[in-house]
Amino acid sequence: MEPTPNPLESPDQPKIGVYICRCGGNISDYLDTEKLADTVRGIPGVTLSKVDTFMCSDPGQDRIVQDVQAGLVNRVVVASCSPFLHEVTFKAAVRRGGLNPYLYTHVNIREQGSWAHGHQGDAATQHALHMIAGGVGKVRHLQPLDKIRLPSHRRVLVIGGGVAGMKAALDTARRGLPVLLVEKAPQLGGRSLDLGRVYPSEQEARELVKRLEKDVRAEEKITVLTGSEVTAIGGFIGNFEATISTGSEQRTDAIGAVIMATGFTPYQPPEGEYAFGHSQVVTLPEFVKALRDMPSGKTLTWNGKPVRSVGLMHCVGSRQCEGCFQPQPDGQLNDYCSRVCCTSLLRNAVELRSRFPETQIYDFHQDIRTYGRGQEDYYTCASDQGVTFFRWKGEEPPVVTARDKGGLAITVKDQLTFGEEIEVPVDLLVLGVGMMPGPIADLVDQLKLPVGADRFLQEVHPKLRPVEVAVAGVLLAGTAQGPMSIEESLEGASAAAAKASILLAHDYTDLEPFVALVTPDLCVGCNACVEECQYAGAVTMEAGPEGKSVATVNPGLCKGCGACVAVCPTRAIDVQGWTLDQFDAMIDGMTDEALRVPATQG
Amino acid sequence: MIAPSQQKVDALVVGGGIAGLQTALDLADQDYKVLVVEKEASIGGRMIALSKVFPTLDCASCITTPKMSSASRHPNITIMTDTEVLKVTQGTEGKPSRVKVRKNPRFVDLDLCIGCSLCEYACPVERPDPFEWGLGATKAISVPFTNAIPPKAILDPEWCTACGACAMVCPTDAIDYGERAQELDIEAGTVVMATGFDLNPVTVKKEYRASESANILNPLELERLLAPHGPYGRVLRPSDGKIPDNIAFVLCAGSRDKSIGVPYCSRVCCMYSIKQAMLLSGAVPMAEITLYYMDIRAFGKGYEQFYQNAKAMGITFTKGKVARIDPVDNDNLKLRVESLEDGRLLENEHDLVILAQGIVPRADADGLGVVLDHDGFVKCADPVAPTKTEGEGIFTAGCAAGPKDIVDSIVEASAAASEAAQHLIRTGVVPVQATEA
Repeated sequence: MEPTPNPLESPDQPKIGVYICRCGGNISDYLDTEKLADTVRGIPGVTLSKVDTFMCSDPGQDRIVQDVQAGLVNRVVVASCSPFLHEVTFKAAVRRGGLNPYLYTHVNIREQGSWAHGHQGDAATQHALHMIAGGVGKVRHLQPLDKIRLPSHRRVLVIGGGVAGMKAALDTARRGLPVLLVEKAPQLGGRSLDLGRVYPSEQEARELVKRLEKDVRAEEKITVLTGSEVTAIGGFIGNFEATISTGSEQRTDAIGAVIMATGFTPYQPPEGEYAFGHSQVVTLPEFVKALRDMPSGKTLTWNGKPVRSVGLMHCVGSRQCEGCFQPQPDGQLNDYCSRVCCTSLLRNAVELRSRFPETQIYDFHQDIRTYGRGQEDYYTCASDQGVTFFRWKGEEPPVVTARDKGGLAITVKDQLTFGEEIEVPVDLLVLGVGMMPGPIADLVDQLKLPVGADRFLQEVHPKLRPVEVAVAGVLLAGTAQGPMSIEESLEGASAAAAKASILLAHDYTDLEPFVALVTPDLCVGCNACVEECQYAGAVTMEAGPEGKSVATVNPGLCKGCGACVAVCPTRAIDVQGWTLDQFDAMIDGMTDEALRVPATQG
Repeated sequence: MIAPSQQKVDALVVGGGIAGLQTALDLADQDYKVLVVEKEASIGGRMIALSKVFPTLDCASCITTPKMSSASRHPNITIMTDTEVLKVTQGTEGKPSRVKVRKNPRFVDLDLCIGCSLCEYACPVERPDPFEWGLGATKAISVPFTNAIPPKAILDPEWCTACGACAMVCPTDAIDYGERAQELDIEAGTVVMATGFDLNPVTVKKEYRASESANILNPLELERLLAPHGPYGRVLRPSDGKIPDNIAFVLCAGSRDKSIGVPYCSRVCCMYSIKQAMLLSGAVPMAEITLYYMDIRAFGKGYEQFYQNAKAMGITFTKGKVARIDPVDNDNLKLRVESLEDGRLLENEHDLVILAQGIVPRADADGLGVVLDHDGFVKCADPVAPTKTEGEGIFTAGCAAGPKDIVDSIVEASAAASEAAQHLIRTGVVPVQATEA
């Protein structure tokens, strides 16, 4: 696409507007934003500088729009928060003013300024000044750019056929997009198949699965591939390619967006943790399944033995304190809360008490986190039914030992009786194990997906883009993102489906133009860039005019990393929007010793 | 902001808070025509009045204003402020719902007002600023708050003396003292209820004697004190303007308490109290801060780590439900609580107390085409479609369907948009682009 020439955009006469945000006080409480504006006005090319309390608000954005429309500026710098939050916002304002949105530079004086160096007074303001000067240097050299428009496949791949995957597939298909639903197991339903009744609806999990599966199977836009795995995947938004293996058969599909519904793995305690390995110690998922399938009676039986008392242990593999538990292979403890175990344990306590009235229950917790709608009722009900509660401190977890005469002894420093040490004998201990991410290292690696400190897939921002990851076109549904209940997983799945429908609303995708660009006249055809490039096919040697080999970039595959730029001997290749000239200008601005903010008096 | 002719829309979203806006944006981005109906003078809901939000500590404005701004600029979204929904009649058999709304008088013509604030400067009457929970003052005619959308004036007839000062200075003749409420009937292919929540009032628990002290705050009042552009510009206690140095948070002050009729957990109080404690320790570094709690419910992604950080910062967490609060000398407050750490009966004096009031359903959610559950929130009808209500084609998101934090409300809002879009397609409302597939 040819950029539309705009008379305002002549680089010969840059008229740079610098807008400095107070961010309510996040910036101006630490940096002298007024002085910054005054000083910046002295940099050549800067025609105006302004300060606003919230540049991202409507009136703040309107300042830019009006100044551009009035012809006062033809280049814009906003110094505010991280570009991650609002670069898009301000580019849109620049466009509304009638200017090419790429004639914009974002300077982060909050995360990299006031928040990091706020205590350093004038020095922090001086540092921000140099960062802004760098931005001004860069913006002066910017050229108008246009997004790269590529055709996209209006088809969605959902990886994982549990409740989240099925819901995501269903919502996406009903919205009009064809879906490929891939599940490793021979059947759909995932971990819900092993559950009994679920909170808060008290419906049979298998009934929910059945309903979803019936709808999925009836939906002609969904292709279900069970017993199948995505063995290779690559590409970019609108243009992914996935290889799916079913037994010995393989198929390759062109996909526009990917929904990760890969679920979780229950925490597996190491041998000996809370006496795990003992025949009378069982994890919650195993217990739930067994409970579901056994007949009711006066007393629960386990391994053929009557169980007069059951211990419920919370926070197994969650909220772990250092020194108390064995870390995971990566050296990290699971310090996060798994969100569902409290309610799940108490729901099952209530069921146990009703179905086996002579079995006593002892509950060992740090906090009772029955946070959601209808969940507190299980806690109240369990108390009413005579469940006895003990509370332990995170750094002093209960100790479980096998008793000589059979059964187990749980020793707890009980906070509800002011730290008294109590030994509780139980015939069975149920471990409320937390959630860990599923084994998806290959997908993470191939799609270059970001992973959080908790090892779950990491969303872009919990409020701005809660079901998207930094890799465009990849969405999150359910517990692949972190611990959630079934209800919450379903909502995450629907949200992912909504985003997929938006991303693939049209049969094209617009990509950012920050890709490598070759100046053919300067290229000597040495092949150094092709050898250096990490992305297959992004840069190749093609025959140019007069039979000379010239580096050629595929803008869909190029990630704009700049590796080629570094090895080119003739400066023939550059990344658009981040050229070497622009970097030079940034560095000149950042190191301009002549720029000083006046010191604070007194 | 709405032409009277636009009385037929694909989707009508009731409530312009963060949940309603997210639903509207997700539907509008799928090329559906959306009408957002907001009771207040600005969109933004509860969130726009917050200081910073957990667990990232982003300023609330930084998250809310872009969404407000995108919604107000979106070619597929129309926003009606000052408008109440009176009645929703669900559309059966695939027919659209009928929604009766009342546009309340603002006494300022939104088409003419340019938001210049000259009226506000000229107005001689000061009134307690509702946006600041009365902790600050504003004029009888004013723009609701700094980043309001629309950024236009509203006149409060309760306070206006009709002196004419504002009309004299208004450069566009936008003030209309005679404006009357206007009722409209709207036809909507689908309706999403995102009506939000009310805060349980601090006076609900008699033992806390909140009506006798200015230094017992509700959490939203403290949000304003902590907000960078708040009423005092810093944290001062209301009774005498003193900088507080021994602050208490009483958790579960309006929830998990059968005696006040709210047996459920309000889900957000633990986390917002921890966040407020952290922000306070930044704003008033010398202050002692104590949280009295029953359980700390830091359940969400990154929440437990947030809680552990707060403990590491030196904030005191005392387990025990506060039994009573009594005003003592110097406007201070004495809290009586049995500490579960060691069984001692504590009588601690604090100079500022925040009651972590719970979330209760809005009184006006009734009669809007949905059924309410026993807890008073909108009843959700289908366990595999959690945002579906009992009304056909009517969905819900955010705190209308029970207490929820912002993260969960936003995800739920997108989920509601997904269900609503499917309903539209089922009933034959297909946006242009969907036919390309």
